[in-house]
Amino acid sequence: MSAKVEAAAAGHGAEPRGKRSENGEATYLIAIAEALWEEMERDERVFLLGEDIGVYGGAFKVTEGFIERFGPERVMDTPIAEETIVGLALGAAMEGMRPVAEFQYADFMSSGFDMITTALGRYHYRSGVPAPVVLRGPSGGGVRASSFHSFNPEPWFAHAPGLKVICPAFPTDAKGLLKSAIRDDNPCVFLEHKWIYRRIKEVVPEDPDFLVPIGEADVKREGTDVSVIAYGMMVHHALEAAEALARDGIDVEVVDLRSIVPLDTETILSSVAKTSRAVVLYESHRFLGVGAEVTAVIAQEGFESLDAPIVRIAPPNVPVPFSPTLEDAYLPQVADIEDAIRELSAW
Amino acid sequence: MATKVSDKKRARDDWRAGLSEEQLHEILYKLKLCRYFDERIEALYRQGRLPGAIYSGRGQEGTHVGVAYALRKDDSLFPTHRDLSAQLTKGLDLKRVMAQFWGRIDGYTRGRDGNSHIGDWEGNRTWTVMSHLPIAYPPACGAALAYKRRGEDRVAMGICGDGATSNGRWHEALNVSAVYGLPVVWVVNNNRYAYSTPNELEFPVPTIAERAAAYGMPGVRVDGANVLEVFTAAREAVERARSGGGPSLIESVSLRWRGHAGHDPAKYVPKELLEDHMENQDPVSRFEELLRSHDLVDDDHVKRLEERVKDEFEEGYAFALASPFPEAGDVTKGLWVEDGYWRSQPGRGGGTEA
Repeated sequence: MSAKVEAAAAGHGAEPRGKRSENGEATYLIAIAEALWEEMERDERVFLLGEDIGVYGGAFKVTEGFIERFGPERVMDTPIAEETIVGLALGAAMEGMRPVAEFQYADFMSSGFDMITTALGRYHYRSGVPAPVVLRGPSGGGVRASSFHSFNPEPWFAHAPGLKVICPAFPTDAKGLLKSAIRDDNPCVFLEHKWIYRRIKEVVPEDPDFLVPIGEADVKREGTDVSVIAYGMMVHHALEAAEALARDGIDVEVVDLRSIVPLDTETILSSVAKTSRAVVLYESHRFLGVGAEVTAVIAQEGFESLDAPIVRIAPPNVPVPFSPTLEDAYLPQVADIEDAIRELSAW
Repeated sequence: MATKVSDKKRARDDWRAGLSEEQLHEILYKLKLCRYFDERIEALYRQGRLPGAIYSGRGQEGTHVGVAYALRKDDSLFPTHRDLSAQLTKGLDLKRVMAQFWGRIDGYTRGRDGNSHIGDWEGNRTWTVMSHLPIAYPPACGAALAYKRRGEDRVAMGICGDGATSNGRWHEALNVSAVYGLPVVWVVNNNRYAYSTPNELEFPVPTIAERAAAYGMPGVRVDGANVLEVFTAAREAVERARSGGGPSLIESVSLRWRGHAGHDPAKYVPKELLEDHMENQDPVSRFEELLRSHDLVDDDHVKRLEERVKDEFEEGYAFALASPFPEAGDVTKGLWVEDGYWRSQPGRGGGTEA
């Protein structure tokens, strides 16, 4: 292990790239830290604010080491006051800064809900004043974190006009999309799936200007029989199911939305045009969740491509439960996805 | 601890608060303009000639003009829908304000919002008002944070009513502003009623100003009917903020003469209280009398001022009615910065008939 990597592991002001594994792979969490670091190096106007992000390095240690490099003014610990964290970001953005606010869990975005949806989202449409704010936080379940640390709030923010909503599934996408969000002139809600944080690694581009455009889906696996449209953790479940089904001769295409707003309907519809069968898989609640809109788009604009009904797989409308049996029953499992695809491909 | 402003003594010694004759005349003009605007807008509303809602700030012009007059043009103001007079004092163009009231393209929000839900960030550094009070308090902290961070000697001022002090954001914003030592002035326009709810059902302490102590900042309570007393307190707070002394709280006490909105007859306000205020606590006539008593204005001056205000209103009204409505086809434009709507001239083909 090099001296640089050792220093970084200790978190003392060394860049997060030093935390990559020996073969150059970065976890999703490290990729996010790299994006923040690089954008702070690039643009003086970018600063971070949030609870315990300074000396402590954040609830998930995304900003570990940042305060030593950038100082407490650009890595700002805040009181526990979510409305005011968002308000600070909005006011500073109106004055030309580029704030990135961290929520310890995306669940706590609801404590700043009014400021996010009423003020931040609606401000530009009514005034013409840009509000380049990024709100980021860990969302999603599958880690036995129970009701208040597992939520998927993306439908709330997707429904509120004026917010871009981003839900990456891979380290490279997370890095490129977060950098795009920080450079975007609109407010962006960036939801990091905590199940992915330390589980998924890949070799991530090192070019400081590597960006992934917001609003473009990506086909993560090409296939001809059934399209699975998903985002976040569900992309990984879909890919696992696809591998199993391939052994039975069912060729599954997996579309990763990456962004919820703007929604890339073109990629969704072209995939369904190819396969004629669609599974819409999502982790937000089934009722009026993100997949409800995806399903409506396919039904309305892709009806002629379809050879079978659209299948939706999503959690029921209950809070995320704790007990393993309950959480597993709540979240779509790989086996559920496999079963649904088998059934649909037999149509 | 709230102090009943030591400035009262200073006001006795220096009744004109160090202001020039020209400045005193300007304050009288602003007071007259705001009063006339408020009265005429209500009349047009009651005649059915104005769409939407109205939120009268009548009786509170001493607060609005007093605090806003203490700001520089590049200081920012984060007001509520009750505080149009503060925005007019800051410098908003009456013609564009009236175009906003009639939902026209030349309004500050291009018809995307109405009435006093208005702001002019580019020109006068005022926040485009929202209803969820005090929703502008936390963003005022953010603007002030930017000034402090960049070493600029600018100040942010937030205004809200007594009603909004019951909301968590009021407390969050005061706390955060003091923790970070931000250059902010917090103004509470205590007009004694949160819609219909009186002060005694809103907070359990005698004054709002004394709450400042809990946040480690100075707090003063001033007489909203005395524009110079309000101005003096605001100037002191602005100077403190500008020179790195952090936030302050000003509670300016008045009475809401009209209902919460145009539809509300405000029968819950005791008649005697209202009559007493209108008779004895009118910030506009009190200031006029003050200037008269020092021979700084006479009948002729006041007459000319009132004619000027009337002419400006008529000019604004004609401008508003001649301004086209936004084009229906533009309804989705301007949500995202990159569509360029707000950086280009909007379509003017919407006609003047709704």
